[in-house]
Amino acid sequence: MGTPLLEIRNVSLSFPGAAGGMVEILHDISLEIKEHEVVAILGPSGCGKSTLLRAIIGLEQPTKGQIFYRGQPQIGLNPSTALVFQNFALFPWLTVQENVSVGLSCLGLDEAGRSERVEQVIAAVGLAGSEEAYPKELSGGMKQRVGLARALAVQPEILCMDEPFSALDVLTSETLRNEVIEIYTRKTSPVNSILMVTHSIDEGVFMATRLVVMGAHPGIIRAVLDNPLPYPRDEHHPDFIALIQKLHTLITQVEFPVERVPPAVPSVGLMPVQSIPIVSLSSAIGLLEILENEGDLELFELTNHVDLELSQLLLVVKAAELLRWVSTPGGRVEMTSAGRQFLSSDINTRKRQLNVLLRRLYVFDVIIRMLNQSPSKEVQEGVVSSQFALHFPHERPLRLLRTVVAWARYAELFQYSATRKVFYKLQQIPSPP
Amino acid sequence: MISEPPFVRPPRVVEWVDLVVFGLLAALIYALVTVAREWSGPLQSVPIIHLEARYLPLYTLFSLSRGVCAYAVSFGFTMVYGYAMARVAGAERVMLPVLDILQSIPVLGFLPGFVLGLVHLFPHQNIGLEIASVLMIFTGQVWNMTFSFYSSLKAVPPDLVAVARLARMSWWERFVRLDISFASTGLLWNSMMSMAGGWFFLMVSEAFVLGEHDFRLPGLGSYMSLAIERSDGTAQLLGVVAMLGMILFVDQVVWRPLVAWSHKFTEQETNGGSGSWLWELIRSSRIWSAVSKSWIFFAEKGQPRATASMRRVAKPLLRSAASFHLGGRMLVGLTGLGILSGVIKYVQLLQGLTVEDWLDLLSGTGMTFLRVIMAVVLASLWTIPVGVLIGRHPRWSRILQPAIQMAASFPAPMIFPVVVGGMLAMGVGLGTSSVVLLLLGTQWYILFNVIAGSSAIPRELWEVSRLARFSWRNRWLNLILPAIFPSLLTGCITAMGGAWNASIVAEYMKYHGQTLMTMGLGATISQATERGNFHVLGAAVGVMAVTVVGFNRLVWRPLSHRAQTRFTLDS
Repeated sequence: MGTPLLEIRNVSLSFPGAAGGMVEILHDISLEIKEHEVVAILGPSGCGKSTLLRAIIGLEQPTKGQIFYRGQPQIGLNPSTALVFQNFALFPWLTVQENVSVGLSCLGLDEAGRSERVEQVIAAVGLAGSEEAYPKELSGGMKQRVGLARALAVQPEILCMDEPFSALDVLTSETLRNEVIEIYTRKTSPVNSILMVTHSIDEGVFMATRLVVMGAHPGIIRAVLDNPLPYPRDEHHPDFIALIQKLHTLITQVEFPVERVPPAVPSVGLMPVQSIPIVSLSSAIGLLEILENEGDLELFELTNHVDLELSQLLLVVKAAELLRWVSTPGGRVEMTSAGRQFLSSDINTRKRQLNVLLRRLYVFDVIIRMLNQSPSKEVQEGVVSSQFALHFPHERPLRLLRTVVAWARYAELFQYSATRKVFYKLQQIPSPP
Repeated sequence: MISEPPFVRPPRVVEWVDLVVFGLLAALIYALVTVAREWSGPLQSVPIIHLEARYLPLYTLFSLSRGVCAYAVSFGFTMVYGYAMARVAGAERVMLPVLDILQSIPVLGFLPGFVLGLVHLFPHQNIGLEIASVLMIFTGQVWNMTFSFYSSLKAVPPDLVAVARLARMSWWERFVRLDISFASTGLLWNSMMSMAGGWFFLMVSEAFVLGEHDFRLPGLGSYMSLAIERSDGTAQLLGVVAMLGMILFVDQVVWRPLVAWSHKFTEQETNGGSGSWLWELIRSSRIWSAVSKSWIFFAEKGQPRATASMRRVAKPLLRSAASFHLGGRMLVGLTGLGILSGVIKYVQLLQGLTVEDWLDLLSGTGMTFLRVIMAVVLASLWTIPVGVLIGRHPRWSRILQPAIQMAASFPAPMIFPVVVGGMLAMGVGLGTSSVVLLLLGTQWYILFNVIAGSSAIPRELWEVSRLARFSWRNRWLNLILPAIFPSLLTGCITAMGGAWNASIVAEYMKYHGQTLMTMGLGATISQATERGNFHVLGAAVGVMAVTVVGFNRLVWRPLSHRAQTRFTLDS
């Protein structure tokens, strides 16, 4: 195999956080990119997969660890890489041709060589005829073709793509996926390996020869899976479907390990300092509705019933599990009797039940205790968010705060005023059942 | 069937378009020579200004050239100051408040320093006075451009920055292709506003009395002020026509083509509302392609030289920033010393004031404050309903927008005497009529913003209010006012700043050979300038700056924060 193209050795990366400290985005990442492979990095949003990509290119500097390119430690931008952006990142005031040639001035080509190169990549991505157009005249698919052409123009050994198809509609992204694979497999292509970030399992399985699954808070590599299917791949082939299911199971096992002990009944004083998943309560209730209609399901079967990407769905399941509405033995999602009871109740009973349930969770308990101790029965938002930042250094405190507010409002636990930015007590506390 | 060969126009040696453009070029060269001759002429503190109509084109040309020079200075200042403020680490914390204070200092506050200093520097030539005049117009133009450039630079999309880094763009390439290009739209609109702001004080900038000296420069502003002093109605009318002509000329020849050209810098597809005949003409001319080619050359090949010279400037700067402990601290210390000595000098200047002077100043501030508030309230009262009406009907706003733009660009002080004359005939004194004068100068800012705000209300919300059978009162309270609140606020802030400045010319004026004045801070500043009473002038300018900045900090800033968090339409 020889030296790998790229070697990422124990890379950690932190950014200054909102609460003053450092938030660790990537934690001890080690990964190799070999020659002639397509590596897809999969993971939930906020797991740092884009940051990892940017660190590999050299746009971000690792706080710890090092990246080697062909055995040489990498300092600054790696000239053998090019990046395709999720939102195209085209200069609106430059024509297609000018946008594509943006990266060429530093390559030391003469005028003729440059225009030949531009012409060649524009033809390769199917943009011939649009050379003089401005980006605003183009459709999303055409814009991303320009982004792709710009990346290919510098003849990169490693083509990096950051969710390149997620801003496009289904049909267009399908077409572009095929075209990228076609460019990659072309013999004349200078592209040696592709490194892409995606949140779609199907996309990863369709394109990649190796799949890297990341987990969030902080971003770590959870699992790596090889994909030996030959190109061109058929999405309906049994092997393809089997691989997707395998990946689903893998991610599920990572997120819901079988050997995990079920959460102990929390008693006051020994409450685990635990955050809540950043999802809405109504999506968790929606999950119950589906389980009610379809019966208990395997996790990956669930994806067929909901219009959510897997990482998002997993958060919903976790929320339902936290509320003890479902249990997840061995990757199955089963509704508990508590869940059934909740679902059959009317809105007021639901609120009462939730009121009791949420009080047992740390994030709500801490606010209620602060409110009880405050003489004015009010607590500033800043106090709460700094408390959260302290306990959950990898969460974004504001997003967590908003979710807490939404859940608490539903359960009528306490109130929150967005204009004054304070939490305050409800006048009437609904009586417990 | 044999298709006809496509019709190809034979290339002509000279097209009429090129002739027109060459004609323009020749006219421009002649104008430059004339202006240069004027500038290097011997200093006459009171040159003879003629009120005959035939002098007017020349005067207009002189004023226009001053405005253009001032704009060039403003542009340069904006580039340097705005860039440093946005990009030099830590600079923002000092430079932003400084800019805020500078913009609150009234134009007349800069006058004595500029004039005396520059006339002293060039004692025998007009150039000192000319530069002073240009600099005063500059102080009326520059601030909003700098703010706009700064906020654009802060908003450059990070992805585009990443592309620029990946493409290893040089500093210069990045500045031209990314920073300036991204900022261009905002810079252009603010340039239009700035030009209008510069004209506002044209009369003061070209003809002023400072102590015993009566300084005048030939130009449209001094022509107008002489016409007003002599109460020559025909000359006043001619002056207004010339001013309107100049604004129209600049609008058609400069701004319209630039706006049309700048459409390529915007990300959205524009609905081609503001076409420009001149832009079409230029674009189809041969000269344009030469110019645009040279621009590309400038962006790419100009880079090594610019980068090299930049490096020469930036290296020591960066080095001093790196070795902050040595040279940096000394620099900061020196600057601090300079500021400290300035403060001491200023306090010494203020010590010449008696308690009575201070009381006068304070009561004057109170009066002017009341007038400013009244002007903003009155302006809101008529502009809100009219603006909402115009904003709701896109066709109306398309038709009316250019007319309003013209009216807004016209320097209101030029018609002040007519208004004051009318008010005096009705038995209303300057104390009250100056409110009307402030209104004339500042209402447009509010109108523009209300139109923008109401046209941004989504149609669905109008429909909801109709379906819910909102009463007239309900519709205003629950839909229109909250929806336009943020833009109304922006309009009011701008209007109020303008009104403070305008009080200088509204509370004190030469009229029919006599001096009209009323109690107020603006009148105090004008009078102190004319009498050369620098103690009072320094104090009054300071009071005004403190009042404006204080009001901005204590009232407008919390309000706009609230507007942005609560009343924003994109939820």
